[in-house]
Amino acid sequence: MRYLALVHADDGAWAALSDDDRSAVYERYRAFTEEARGAGKLVDGHELQPASTATTVRVVDGDTVVTDGPFAELREQIGGYFVLDCESIDEAVALAAKIPAAERGAIEVRPAYEDGSS
Amino acid sequence: MKYALLLNNRSDDVERWAALSPDEAAAARAEEMPRWEALFARLGERGQWLSGVELDEPSLARTVRVVDGEPVVTDGPYAETREVVGGLMLVECADLDEAIELAAAVPLVDRGSVEIRPVVE
Repeated sequence: MRYLALVHADDGAWAALSDDDRSAVYERYRAFTEEARGAGKLVDGHELQPASTATTVRVVDGDTVVTDGPFAELREQIGGYFVLDCESIDEAVALAAKIPAAERGAIEVRPAYEDGSS
Repeated sequence: MKYALLLNNRSDDVERWAALSPDEAAAARAEEMPRWEALFARLGERGQWLSGVELDEPSLARTVRVVDGEPVVTDGPYAETREVVGGLMLVECADLDEAIELAAAVPLVDRGSVEIRPVVE
């Protein structure tokens, strides 16, 4: 079953890292994706540009309203995501705990909708 | 350029839907499905579709942090917010204007929101 792991991290702290420190973190992400892919658990994953680059679209009374910024102000913004393929949410959570940002921020694990569920 | 679209529902709508009977929920889904299918067809025709995932209820979420080397897991989403992520789409668009046009065609945009975020490539 598929699970979406939303990576929440302080993007200000990320931007403030030295190039060397950032490279070290990317290396850990490379190792994570290689391990997860090798185990057949990784469907997809992407790093997102910071929340300051977000654009949010709504339609209100028939008018398209476009605003700069993310849809919600969070203490730790969404910085990326992975789509995981696991047997259970417990397994998905255990895998998500290996995402480097889990140490600095938090990973929200959301089950995908499967026809026949809620 | 790749963009991630976060498709967000209002929390109060999500609560209302959770209270529907299975038949009512299935009927609501069936009613809206043609609009989603039209969107996906359009994305496919224009070569904009890359991937996507629809999410189940936020109440089923778990949030994990690693503290002093140990995973700490809590039930529920990362935060209680007025809008919650209900799906994610990865699309290929020429520029932000094209992504905005696409976002404005997502069926939930008139009762929730669509956040467009450039992907690091």
